[in-house]
Amino acid sequence: MSFIPLALIAEVTHRCPLHCVYCSNPLEMQRRTTEMATEDWIGVFRQARELGTLQLHLSGGEPLARADLTELVAGARAGGLYVNLITSGVGLSAELLSRLIAAGLDHLQLSMQDVEESLANDIAGARSHALKLEVARMARQQPIAFTLNVVVHRQNLDRLEQVIAMAEQLGTDRLEIANVQYYGWAVSNRDRLLPTREQLKRSLEVVERARERLKGAMRIDYVVPDYYARYPKACMGGWGQRLMLIDPAGFALPCHAARTIPGLDFSNARESPLGWIWHESPAFRRFRGEDWMQEPCRTCERREIDFGGCRCQALLLAQDANATDPVCSLAPSHGIVRDILERVNTHAVPEASGWVYRIDPR
Amino acid sequence: MPHLESVPRLAAGCRVSTVAGEQPMLLMPEGALRLIGTSLKIVELCDGQRTLAEVITQLQQQFPAVDPAKIATETVTFLERLHEKRVLNFA
Repeated sequence: MSFIPLALIAEVTHRCPLHCVYCSNPLEMQRRTTEMATEDWIGVFRQARELGTLQLHLSGGEPLARADLTELVAGARAGGLYVNLITSGVGLSAELLSRLIAAGLDHLQLSMQDVEESLANDIAGARSHALKLEVARMARQQPIAFTLNVVVHRQNLDRLEQVIAMAEQLGTDRLEIANVQYYGWAVSNRDRLLPTREQLKRSLEVVERARERLKGAMRIDYVVPDYYARYPKACMGGWGQRLMLIDPAGFALPCHAARTIPGLDFSNARESPLGWIWHESPAFRRFRGEDWMQEPCRTCERREIDFGGCRCQALLLAQDANATDPVCSLAPSHGIVRDILERVNTHAVPEASGWVYRIDPR
Repeated sequence: MPHLESVPRLAAGCRVSTVAGEQPMLLMPEGALRLIGTSLKIVELCDGQRTLAEVITQLQQQFPAVDPAKIATETVTFLERLHEKRVLNFA
């Protein structure tokens, strides 16, 4: 069976003006001096298109921190890709947005930390909320697709109605409400971020009602925390099956957190052709398909649905990247997740302070 | 059901990609739709000029062997699906 990297996530820099307490970047980030040059990135985009990639997600860090972002957008669009910019909005002027659109930007995805300014700024470790609202209003008037992405967790999940009202007020077509996933920086803040079962249940009802009411006007995607799921998520659509991530220095990864897995040697797009990295490199083949699986995954009837879940989460929680994702109710290590949820659901809501903030790379 | 006099057009940030030697794709945020056969013809007719009624009439003329009522229903169903995905607007 042959797999195609339908989407490419290009982390063009790890530099970012925000310090979000749940940032998905690795704890050890790439510095500015190691970042790939403009022409290296454009070469990567061309090769990806030849492999069958359709969607490019320009991500970071904050992509706007790169002075050559307009060239990157132009290069990607000329190479035949659908270009999405995932941004905090910090540093986006009306003039720069116009230039990006002229260069071929198709879609802008703006992250918001909350509906209330004080918590939003507290989570981001920066005064960015008011500015983001301005960017949202600006983007809405431009001829591009616009998605508002709001990250939710224990501290703000009870305000979901207000979050949806904010999106309506801003006139966005698409709202993505994503619960924090526990990798990278979020792990240190997990007890303050994981919602209770009751909060989650209510949130599902709120989303369902809003979807019904806003049908045809706004599309709402809702990502639940997988700790509460019965079965794991098909992480990245399966290891090395649908997505490829390139980090600022050019290292090709099957997912955001893959570098945490010991013993894997990741190839660099500056040194090896992308086609070889995707199809042949040992790291991309390591957990592709089913050969690596242990029981209960190996004989599970869901093994082609969720592919055993997330390898990084298995490593993080069960200390074994080959294990069944511990969030799976069938996993031998599921007790770890049960204990975490037990704690979260029986203890009082921890104060929204004492956060561990993401530190910016030099 | 959208009004027959409304004008269907692709939403901002949604476009048809035609690359030589490849099947045309409708590109949109977070996804792509392979445009096969009639779906390509329908999307091409939604140029922001024609009304929904005109799009249907045009298709009925192009496919005289197919039941006109079936063409109308299937076209509306397809466009409504795109509308729900926020890929298409009825102006």
